Amino acid sequence: MSLFLYVFFAIAGLLLFLFLWSMRKPHRRGGALPDAGILEERGPGSVAHLPQIQQAFADSDFEFLFERAQSSLVRRVRRERRQVALAFLSAVREDFDRLLHTATIISVLSPEVAALHEFERLRLIVKFNLRYRIIRMQLHLGLAPIPRLSRLSDLVSGLSVRMETAMKELGERAALAAELASSLDRRGGDVA
Amino acid sequence: MAEIATFERVLWGIILFLKLALFLLLIYRKNYRVYPCLFAYILPTLLQSPVLFFCYRIWGFSSQMSVNIAWSTQGLVVDVRALAVGEICRRVLQRYRGIWALAWRMLLAAAGLVLLYSWAVGRPHWQLAILNADRVFELAIALTIGILFLFVRYYEIEMAPAERLLAIGFFLFSCFSFLNDTILERRLYDYDVLWNLAGTVVFIPCLLLWIWALRQPQPETVFQPQMLPSNLYAEFAPEINFRLKALNEHLNQFWSAEARRP
Repeated sequence: MSLFLYVFFAIAGLLLFLFLWSMRKPHRRGGALPDAGILEERGPGSVAHLPQIQQAFADSDFEFLFERAQSSLVRRVRRERRQVALAFLSAVREDFDRLLHTATIISVLSPEVAALHEFERLRLIVKFNLRYRIIRMQLHLGLAPIPRLSRLSDLVSGLSVRMETAMKELGERAALAAELASSLDRRGGDVA
Repeated sequence: MAEIATFERVLWGIILFLKLALFLLLIYRKNYRVYPCLFAYILPTLLQSPVLFFCYRIWGFSSQMSVNIAWSTQGLVVDVRALAVGEICRRVLQRYRGIWALAWRMLLAAAGLVLLYSWAVGRPHWQLAILNADRVFELAIALTIGILFLFVRYYEIEMAPAERLLAIGFFLFSCFSFLNDTILERRLYDYDVLWNLAGTVVFIPCLLLWIWALRQPQPETVFQPQMLPSNLYAEFAPEINFRLKALNEHLNQFWSAEARRP
């Protein structure tokens, strides 16, 4: 068989793979159908626990322990910290997904969408997923040292708050418009 | 006519029956109003069978006249199929104006690129021109549906079961036809009988799928979601991307900065 034929079979195989992948039941990122109603954020999420987690990862704590405690205890603490790092990483991932979900809904429900922003987001999602999986795998295997977690989730929380405010404003405006319309209707009815 | 095996004649009969059933179902359930292009595809597909039957009877299965008529009708059928696929894409995505504006350009560009590429790398032989055209059309259709499914998944768009089944049928049939044509082009003389048979066999499950999809009347108008103000996207899309980018950079630091620690 020629290279030409291989290329075409590869294209067909890729198409079938994409088809099967897209046919999988989608896991809805914390939500249902695209609807303006689910644009509301659901609280601060994992970000609320950041100070405690940061405390657990403080270098000073670890150094103190290293100087005074037995090696078995140090190992145990290290293992537990790794578990906390994994849990925090998952929580950040959830925040990331929630933000993406909101971004997706905004795109779907917007009358105009810029291809540039959409492709940029797609590229960032791929990059994030790749890095996230690598870090997670390293933490699982014990290859990665205990990470610093500072400021990581600030990025997610900052936007969430702003979006929440925007959505609230939007909701208030919609409610006001509806109220105005109904009061006009009532007046119209009275006149008639 | 004697050149056509009995088994293939039976398959032809089954296909003709299924096409007729689908055609009548489209009329009976009034789904031709909802899917006019699909209806326009089923009609020539249905007419193709008796036309070819009489051609083979009059001029013989392997005569040049029969070959010319067969490929001409096939060209028409594939063109109308492309329209039917476009109609499904439109019905699925059109209610989301922004996404549809992005999607139709992408779908058209992808299909156009595939057409150009396949045409450029195809065998430069005039006798194979029609086969090559058929093949590239099939690939373009399959790719278009593939991209549609990716859009649906990426944007978490709800797809009506009927449209999903119709699209699956078109996708599988186009994918298979593309592979079938590619093998035929390479092994022209020792594959033609099998090519015909394989194409016929694959068409049966696709027709069954379409019949199942259209067994109920479909709503003419689709649910129209309330759109957000356009300035919301303009304000938040770059902001989200910026945050995601920064988050990516932090993830990188999460790993590399700590690797330097003793």
